[in-house]
Amino acid sequence: MSLATLHITGPLATITLNRPDSRNALSPDLLASLHARIDELADRCTPKPERTDSGPHVCILTGAGRAFCAGMDLKAVLGDPDTARSLLLSLAEFTYKLRQLPCVTVAVVNGPAIGGGCGLVAVCDLALTYTDNKMGFPEVDMGVCPAVVAPWLVRKIGPGRARQVLLTGGLLSGLQAHALGIVTTCVPTPADLPAAAETLTTRLAAGSPHALRATKNLLNDLDGSTDWPLLEAAANLSANVLNCPESQAMLRSKLEPSARQ
Amino acid sequence: MTTPTPNPTTEVYAHLDAHTGYIVLNRPDKRNALTPAMLDLALAHLHTLLTPPPTGQPACRAIILCGQGAVFCAGFDMQLVHNDPATLPALLTGLSKLVRALRRAPLPVIIAAHGGAVAGGCALLGGGDIIVTDRDAKLGYPVLKLGISPAVTIPALRQALTDGQTRERVLDTDLITGQHAYDLGLAHVCCDIREDVLPAAQRIAKNLANKPPHALAATKQLLNHLEGTDADEPFDRALAASFSLAGSPDQRARVAALWN
Repeated sequence: MSLATLHITGPLATITLNRPDSRNALSPDLLASLHARIDELADRCTPKPERTDSGPHVCILTGAGRAFCAGMDLKAVLGDPDTARSLLLSLAEFTYKLRQLPCVTVAVVNGPAIGGGCGLVAVCDLALTYTDNKMGFPEVDMGVCPAVVAPWLVRKIGPGRARQVLLTGGLLSGLQAHALGIVTTCVPTPADLPAAAETLTTRLAAGSPHALRATKNLLNDLDGSTDWPLLEAAANLSANVLNCPESQAMLRSKLEPSARQ
Repeated sequence: MTTPTPNPTTEVYAHLDAHTGYIVLNRPDKRNALTPAMLDLALAHLHTLLTPPPTGQPACRAIILCGQGAVFCAGFDMQLVHNDPATLPALLTGLSKLVRALRRAPLPVIIAAHGGAVAGGCALLGGGDIIVTDRDAKLGYPVLKLGISPAVTIPALRQALTDGQTRERVLDTDLITGQHAYDLGLAHVCCDIREDVLPAAQRIAKNLANKPPHALAATKQLLNHLEGTDADEPFDRALAASFSLAGSPDQRARVAALWN
């Protein structure tokens, strides 16, 4: 089965990260699958003469299994600077495509969303999670720089709060993420998520696709979401930090503690 | 300047009380639903209030925008929009002009948003420096359901909220309470009951009217410049985005469905 799946029912599309054994960590293969799915969805939303409807206009992003997304698969790129750089650029490009989708995007954060995984939450227009979930940006603790996610977090919660969150690192509860504005809805338990997501997406789907797309285009224009060069530069910055000896040593000690013995 | 006097026969009237100018939406039987004529009248009253008076007459130093009846403003008159498709572009243009003019007025604008400020009514809040509401008021933008884009409101709304909150408020058609609006920063003062909103606005206006007008004007001008709301470009782009859907078959069908 594909590492990312796309399911469309009428106005609602769902993209699911499907690497549950690795907590949906973003590997090169998973990102390649995500790109393929989102390209299919974007094509489905493009008006064509032979199409009688305008395609889905609400898109859920969620994870299979117990996690939403554990972030970049740093172990897969340890000691491989070229693959690390291309992985970061691939993530940056995916976040860009996700933001430009002519759909309201809703992250249904079914489990931990860490680092790049929490970045995907910030890119989405709306997000739901549960109180005790684990979310956040611990990049600085790992010796790396959250450059790709930073522009999205600033746009989501404002520069002041983004500064605090990204420099502090660590993890947040779902409740804390809600208080900060990283998620828009917080339900008590994971079991409450599906019903809350259905209520929200049903309401969103009742809106006019044309009006929604015009609104989203303007939002993206005004808040800098269309700035691809900024994201590309951020990905390269992130790669430069990740590939430096200090970061590599720190990552090795955290990801391969047995190697020290 | 002719000192405006209250004229309850008009759908928007203005008056000056000491140094506080009032622009009053006066269509309570329709929850102050806006027509193009009302927006034009409000703008004309604003210009009148901003015109320096003859020597010896009190000058307007603070403006309160408020509404008669149960709620501040329920938005555009959708019956008019349904009957005449040309009404929607006129409403969008009038709204954009009025919000810009209020935001750029060289004196503080306080909006008494009691009971409800919905759709175009919520967009009017973009013209206010200080928004007063009540805990149980209803605020928001349900207009995507009608095939109308609330884009016209975004340049001002994103100054009150983070971009993330702005995105949520304009894409999700649910209304929020006055308390929630206050928690977000969309409203600055939250009263317990709607009857307290206008008196609260009046106290704020009186306090501000006593401060040096030139200092307030300069500060407001600087704030607008820092935000970029002194430029027409973002407002023009937002208006164009909302305009692009006005009169479309989808929009007309959705509005018509209100009466089917």
